[in-house]
Amino acid sequence: MQPLIMQPLIQQTPAITSNMDLEQIDPQWAWEPWQASEQEPWNESRLRLLLRRGGFGGEPKSIAALKNLPHAAAIEALIGSDAKREQERFEEDSAQLLAAVRAGGSIQRLAAWWVHRMIHSPSPLIEKMTLFWHGHFATGADKVIDTELMAQQNQVLRKHAIGDYRQLVHEVAKDPAMLLYLDSASNRKAHPNENFARELMELFCLGEGNYSEKDVQELARCFTGWEIRRKSFRFNSYQHDSGAKTLFGVEGIESGEAAIDQVLNHPAMPMFMARKLFRFFLCDEPEASQELLAPLAQKWVESDHQVEPVVRMILSSRLMLSGWSIGKKIRSPVELAIEWVRALDISTNLDRLSKGLGAVGQSLFHPPNVKGWDAGRAWINSSTLIGRANLLVDLLQDANTRFAGGDLNAWMKSQRITTAESWATMLEESLLAIALSDSERSQWLEQSTQGNRFKEMLLWLSQNPKLHLT
Amino acid sequence: MGVAIGSAVPAGWLKTVSANLAQQENAGQENAGQGSAGGPQDRVLVVIQLSGGNDGLNTVVPYRDERYRKARPELGISESEVIKLDDALGLHPAMRPVEHLLESQRWSIVQGVGYPSPNRSHFESMDIWHTCHSKKDRANSGWLGRWVADQKSADLSDSLAVHLGAETLPLACQERGVQVPSLASLEQMRLRSKVAATMSSESSPQNTNGGLLDFVSTSTQAAVQVSQRLENVLASPDSSGDFPGSGLGEKLRVVSRLILAGVRTRVYYVSLDGFDTHANQPQAHAGLLRQWSEALGAFTKRMQAAGQQDRVLVVTFSEFGRRVAENASHGTDHGAAAPMFLAGPKLPKLLHGAPPDLGNLDDGDLKFEIDFRSVYASVLESWLGTSSLKSLDGDYRSTGMGLGLFS
Repeated sequence: MQPLIMQPLIQQTPAITSNMDLEQIDPQWAWEPWQASEQEPWNESRLRLLLRRGGFGGEPKSIAALKNLPHAAAIEALIGSDAKREQERFEEDSAQLLAAVRAGGSIQRLAAWWVHRMIHSPSPLIEKMTLFWHGHFATGADKVIDTELMAQQNQVLRKHAIGDYRQLVHEVAKDPAMLLYLDSASNRKAHPNENFARELMELFCLGEGNYSEKDVQELARCFTGWEIRRKSFRFNSYQHDSGAKTLFGVEGIESGEAAIDQVLNHPAMPMFMARKLFRFFLCDEPEASQELLAPLAQKWVESDHQVEPVVRMILSSRLMLSGWSIGKKIRSPVELAIEWVRALDISTNLDRLSKGLGAVGQSLFHPPNVKGWDAGRAWINSSTLIGRANLLVDLLQDANTRFAGGDLNAWMKSQRITTAESWATMLEESLLAIALSDSERSQWLEQSTQGNRFKEMLLWLSQNPKLHLT
Repeated sequence: MGVAIGSAVPAGWLKTVSANLAQQENAGQENAGQGSAGGPQDRVLVVIQLSGGNDGLNTVVPYRDERYRKARPELGISESEVIKLDDALGLHPAMRPVEHLLESQRWSIVQGVGYPSPNRSHFESMDIWHTCHSKKDRANSGWLGRWVADQKSADLSDSLAVHLGAETLPLACQERGVQVPSLASLEQMRLRSKVAATMSSESSPQNTNGGLLDFVSTSTQAAVQVSQRLENVLASPDSSGDFPGSGLGEKLRVVSRLILAGVRTRVYYVSLDGFDTHANQPQAHAGLLRQWSEALGAFTKRMQAAGQQDRVLVVTFSEFGRRVAENASHGTDHGAAAPMFLAGPKLPKLLHGAPPDLGNLDDGDLKFEIDFRSVYASVLESWLGTSSLKSLDGDYRSTGMGLGLFS
């Protein structure tokens, strides 16, 4: 029996341990950029952690290329956009695929298109943040019923993925899919519709408790007359209530645009976003204290609603890279599947894969409601656990699945893996955040002795609880 | 041999089930004539959550109230359309499929249900209904999760509570250390790889620190057990009969299948989403009420055919009602108090509480008369025969019993 089952692959420093409570952590220390040292060298497991949290893991090829870079350059490669040529070629391919999807009009194919981007984009952070915004400005295709509009919204989220949050909110507020989803398209002067107004404050910018019911009513008046015409935003002045409104005690606000600015300038806004980004990138639970989040909120204010500096601060922080953050998040279905695909150089039927994501609780373009996916423990229940194992099994057994174009054995040969021992090590390094215990590992090697042993080992792994942590 | 997951399932469960099934069939036959139920310990509760905020006023319609006509010039439902309950109130016409419950006195409406200082956020209000706590308490467990924790039933191989649906496990069913399985469908619970499984390999209790690894490990163990159990339910013939093909119909079909297969789960939790009718309400709302009533009608008929009608209670609620005055998009915005519904066994009274008072509004919303926690208390104590104190984190027994929901 192993006494300690939490064995992060990264060595701990005396300063901080993985079981240290969040409230024991000094905010000043937490957000300093992490620096390599003798005790905490820059190594492959840190690189993998960075790629898991800031993207969707890595293919063997990209890991090999990145692991020899110094740590600052690796961070730059993830956040910056220096892969220009590769980017252009990828965008050309992706645009062609998207044109075909748009012509066909199937939302399932649009989801498959996005999955393709998550697997292949040279800028995985952009796709990761687009996914974050999709959960943040959750809009469901079931209500919008227009693949074109969902595609448009997806592009808006991507365009501003790590850009100017102010601009993003202004564009989302006029985004036809959002207008339809939150009924703002039918918001008329005589009886304002409160749906969008409420969610703008509760879910997009401030959080519950930072506004009154009166603010909701006044804000709804500001958006009266915001309509859709021929799949685009249109302002209908006849339906707009042009009387003066009062928001958060500020009088004389007239237009929807001015009202959005007022919401964005609310003092609760930076902390609200800091909390959400912290949870998305760093740790599911418990909730971080205001003190711990304060430097992030401060950064948000200083950089005037730019997302990139805050994301950079999180990803390059000591809290992230020292080792504390390991195993502190539950993998979303998208992370689980895409990381698996990338680690094994898999190509497969993406329609089926994106449909499979729905069966375990993360159907792209179909968030459960306007609050998006709850994440954390909410990903896990009896159905989704069986479903996750089944999803990976289906992926491995799909007739369309190839490993770098060939079969599993040929691919392993190309990776110079010939023994169960070396296969186990590779899988552990590339797919698990927390190491298996010695007893688990020997059980794994013992049990996989029949049939296609290497495939059996993958199936075994698909059912291991540690697979769900990142 | 070599399929390790099987070892997680108690060896004697198959026997338990078939014995239990036989017992229930007998009980069903014996009781069929008198329509009487067994003791409270045999009773089952099915909770239906209408998510999004059901428009109570257009569900139980005060069709003669002038103020209703005035507030709902476009959306109002007329006297000629409603299913009359008395000379003031009537049900929405889409609810015909539950008429048989009305006729057989197996239907009750608790009017004006809510809680103090109503919250008009879907999520906050739903959390209040789930946790029985106001927002500031930041409770992270729900009334049914705590109820499960409070039952002393280590000998039971079946989960005391089960959630059916592809959505996240409702907060109502959550509690640290309690595993309420969430089933998207019976078929989806089949583990497709029969490789010697590791799913339950590593969760030695001495390592539990309530962290995420413990959580995924114990959840995995529970999932494998449930999967094994359901394999056997699936192997038994499906006698669940005709159910509507809707999402809720399918969920209640599964519930009926589990009940009739002798699974000893006592609480089932299902939801129907879409009640957030800010725009174009009439068609959407009618469709939802129809789906709800058809599924409920089919379920109660199935229970009746199996002689189980007196041991299965269905309770329906929503996180809030809607604003009394309609908006300009042919819809209604978030409101406050609304009715709850009970169905299944013989019930002493059709209507509890006072009809909505449209002359006495709170910022455009109906005021609540009955605290939802008193209804929960009554269901837990009188129906399930269990204590409500830990489940509700408070004592609502006197108001709950005062309602007289059950005879």
